[in-house]
Amino acid sequence: MTLLTILLMAVITFTTRYLFIHPRLPVRLGAKMAKLLSFSAPAVLTAIWVPIIFIQQGQLSISLHNPYLIAATLAIVAAAKSKSIYLTMFVGLITFVLSRYILTL
Amino acid sequence: MALTKKKARWLMAKKGFLDMLPLNLAVLPWGILCGSLAVQRDFSALEAILMPLIVFAGSAQLVAIELIANNASLATILFTTFIISSRHFLYGLALRDKLKVLPTKWRYSLGFLLTDELFALSSHNKSFVGQLRLVYGVVAGGSFYVFWLLWNVAGVIAGSYLPDLTHLGLDFAIAVTFIALVIPTIINLPILVTVIVAALLSVVFKLMQFELDLVAAALIAMYCGYLTERFLYKKKDMNDEGTHKISPSVKDSI
Repeated sequence: MTLLTILLMAVITFTTRYLFIHPRLPVRLGAKMAKLLSFSAPAVLTAIWVPIIFIQQGQLSISLHNPYLIAATLAIVAAAKSKSIYLTMFVGLITFVLSRYILTL
Repeated sequence: MALTKKKARWLMAKKGFLDMLPLNLAVLPWGILCGSLAVQRDFSALEAILMPLIVFAGSAQLVAIELIANNASLATILFTTFIISSRHFLYGLALRDKLKVLPTKWRYSLGFLLTDELFALSSHNKSFVGQLRLVYGVVAGGSFYVFWLLWNVAGVIAGSYLPDLTHLGLDFAIAVTFIALVIPTIINLPILVTVIVAALLSVVFKLMQFELDLVAAALIAMYCGYLTERFLYKKKDMNDEGTHKISPSVKDSI
């Protein structure tokens, strides 16, 4: 039963990724639509990471007791200043681990 | 000095691998979490490994494991998977004109590999155009697939020895990766507006427990970015009138 579920899940994830690049699908994108879609990367990726930072156990958490918020703030500064993926990840992860540790003391 | 074709392909493959490497490393905790959680929730090793092998999705895998372990109905599991995966429709649409013209083999491969991470590396306006950029895309996406599988397998093997990892805050690794990817792309006002609207709405919708929270927030944010750009463009046009008449299309190409 679990095997069947996994198989059907695979069909769904592949379909959502593949459907709109299938050539025979009767979809044509005009210039306006293409412009609109050019904003999809910042929009979707942001809608993924921001809730991870601000929502803890279903509750909005805007306080210095939220290690996600502290670490994300420093990571944003690091990303804006350095534009380096590695440095941003390093700064973010170190601050996250440290602030989590300090907050549980 | 002219590059031979083979050398050029090798260089692009290397670039694809190196560009994806930080993301491959960043999903290590998340992959181990998925693999070990499956084992801890009584999945067989085969089932646990089939997840990254054919479903190949982070959050959908994680949520489905919990649902299956709690004996949720098949319809619930599949519907949830669909909702979580629905953001990929946007990726396919955004890349449609570039990918639909490819030979079947490339199209299916890139379709299968089209994750958040590969999409994040595909924003160049010529990505996937020409064989070299295809090699780049397939190596970047393919290496992500291999690493995701590896981390999951590591989680499956270590699974029963590991404590429950779900409350360790491993999702922060995902968040910081996307911060690193998004923040440097904010180069103008329309993108800034997009990011701010997406940030606010995604939190509001999630708190409202709206099922399509992510996609709805993203769509509205995209539209706000689009409107901002149109507004700026019109204002610029009006300012230019009477001073120097350069056609907008010429200015755009500068």
